[in-house]
Amino acid sequence: MGSDEAYNFVFKVVLIGESGVGKSNLLSRFTKNEFSHDSRTTIGVEFSTRTVQLNGFIIKAQIWDTAGLERYRAITSAYYRGAVGALLVYDITKHLTYESVERWLKELYVHADPHIVVMLVGNKSDLDSDRSVPVEEAKDFAAKKGLLFLETSALQSTNVEAAFSIILSEIHKKVSSKEVVRGSISAVSLNSSGAENTEKKPCCRNI
Amino acid sequence: MAKTTENGRYSSDTRSIRTISSSHIDDESSLGSDSEINGFTSDRQTDKYGFIGGAQQYSEKSAQYVPPEVLRQREVKWLDMLNHWDKWMLKRFNKVRLRCQKGIPPALRGRAWLFLSGGKVKREQNPGKFQELDSQPGDPTWIDVIEKDLHRQFPFHEMFVSRGGHGQQDLFRVLKAYTLYRPEEGYCQAQAPIAAVLLMHMPAEDAFWGLVQICEKYLPGYYSPGLEAIQLDGEILFALLRRVSPPAFRHLEKHKIDPILYMTEWFMCAFSRTLPWASVLRVWDMFLCDGVKIIFRVGLGLLRCTLGTREKLKNCQGLYETMELLRAIEPQYMQEDYLVREILLIPVTARDIEREHHSQLKRWRKNRGELNFRPAPRMHGARLIMLAEPPRRQDLQQNPTIVIEEPPPPTPQLKKSKEERKSKKKSAKKSAPIEEIPNPYPLPTDTTPLPPPLPPAGPPDVDSPHLQEAPPADIPAANKSGLQQSSQSLSSIDQDTYL
Repeated sequence: MGSDEAYNFVFKVVLIGESGVGKSNLLSRFTKNEFSHDSRTTIGVEFSTRTVQLNGFIIKAQIWDTAGLERYRAITSAYYRGAVGALLVYDITKHLTYESVERWLKELYVHADPHIVVMLVGNKSDLDSDRSVPVEEAKDFAAKKGLLFLETSALQSTNVEAAFSIILSEIHKKVSSKEVVRGSISAVSLNSSGAENTEKKPCCRNI
Repeated sequence: MAKTTENGRYSSDTRSIRTISSSHIDDESSLGSDSEINGFTSDRQTDKYGFIGGAQQYSEKSAQYVPPEVLRQREVKWLDMLNHWDKWMLKRFNKVRLRCQKGIPPALRGRAWLFLSGGKVKREQNPGKFQELDSQPGDPTWIDVIEKDLHRQFPFHEMFVSRGGHGQQDLFRVLKAYTLYRPEEGYCQAQAPIAAVLLMHMPAEDAFWGLVQICEKYLPGYYSPGLEAIQLDGEILFALLRRVSPPAFRHLEKHKIDPILYMTEWFMCAFSRTLPWASVLRVWDMFLCDGVKIIFRVGLGLLRCTLGTREKLKNCQGLYETMELLRAIEPQYMQEDYLVREILLIPVTARDIEREHHSQLKRWRKNRGELNFRPAPRMHGARLIMLAEPPRRQDLQQNPTIVIEEPPPPTPQLKKSKEERKSKKKSAKKSAPIEEIPNPYPLPTDTTPLPPPLPPAGPPDVDSPHLQEAPPADIPAANKSGLQQSSQSLSSIDQDTYL
């Protein structure tokens, strides 16, 4: 189950965005180094973890993925609980998916932690010839809204590692700077492997 | 037990994704067999349900074996029931239920599902409706979303694997038709797997009506905007769990694990994406017979097996670990026989569900206000559906699409078959043995006279799920031997020949 290894933090990151933009493939690319043109539609919730080392700390990234279709937003509040980061994904070849970003941001601020770190991700950068969202436009928008920004290609693996590393770093920075009260987010600092502690202190508190 | 990876997936799950590469699948020709795929080699074996490469967890040793003689007997019984459907449903429903619990013989599953769900009646009462919907262009927004999903349903099933292939085309037609039939509902992604399962067993028009019945009678509101019904059912499931498995209930409560986090895909897809395929079929046989309580029982059973003892909960310290356990349920708990036994033993009735529904609705109204979408009341099974909308005699008639003209010289053997054919409406004798049926389509080199026409009770392609299919087109003798031209083309381009 992977809980035997020691880690310092668990950061829950959610993937949000319209249906078909590539959330599931970003997840599988980052956590399993896999990609499929025919990955199944996400119904309900999918999740994966990957443990990375950042600045000498061991961070277990818990990435959650859900259906992007409009009507599924009704059930997402359970899904945002405890998330410290969000990747807001759009498809650079489908302008409509970029236009929905504002709506998704609103969702986030209603349901998620106010200190959540958000990165705007323009996926499918390998399809540059079909681009319909200019990089500069998205970059400016992100800057204006205080969001991180990157373009990625889950297919070619471009910038996927970078996207997750950056967002995890930013989250770690926020956590370390004590900008947030420890208890309000699910990041717990540990000294040892959590597998043995079962009774009093659970090794990772997931809200 | 199969080895699990860090992410709780069995290694076989990831293998099938990893080994499929991308681009060359796109230029798939839609002509020819759907299972001809560039680049796929021999290690990609298709199982008997059509799944490639071990997808959907088919395993020789865990599948339940039914001897052919038993299958033949069951087929005779089912044909009898289907020929007298109203009588059986109204007066001998317990027997129908029992036979559904034993598993519907594969050759008749599609037909039985269509009858059980009331889709057959709907189809007969709405002649031309599907064609009308099929011919319309559809709302562009829905079309766009549906098209994005076509290659993402059972991508490892040979029926749906090729882009633009017959399977995906029919899936599109069925889903589009539904958005036109119920524009206020539109399309919800979980409808695609439901439609796909139906399409694996019946042609598009039938699958459409099956989908209508599931969305409106069995699981009303599941796919509606707001997804309120599924959230309510999540609460009902959790409440019922308290009685069925107190340890599992306490664990989920302690860690504040919202039912929506684990039951959404289970319920919305009627377990078609969760269980090994043999089990999916058994669950659907019972679900279409007895309604949503079957779905609840499966969910409760899986929760109990996975989280029901202290032993199992020992390594399950938090929400994440629990979720991992729930998505990698041990195969033994999902195996056909075991699962069916579990389902039959769990003490949850339709009344329990309705009672809990009532309480949860009250709670919802108190905390969240009025529901936005009030679906029609749920119908708990095939009999209630039929009672609510009684069919006309002609709605239950089965109309074979292949009509064979009798050849000139009648032999005594022929006369008997003619009589058998006429007695289609009368009940087949249960004790009548199945006769040896000579090949009705002799090869060109065969100089023997044409054997008698097939009685409808003895289909040649018993293992095929589609009894209305035309036989393969590569038998040239068909036209020359004086057979009446069937109104359907035999070309494999026009005629779907799903394996």
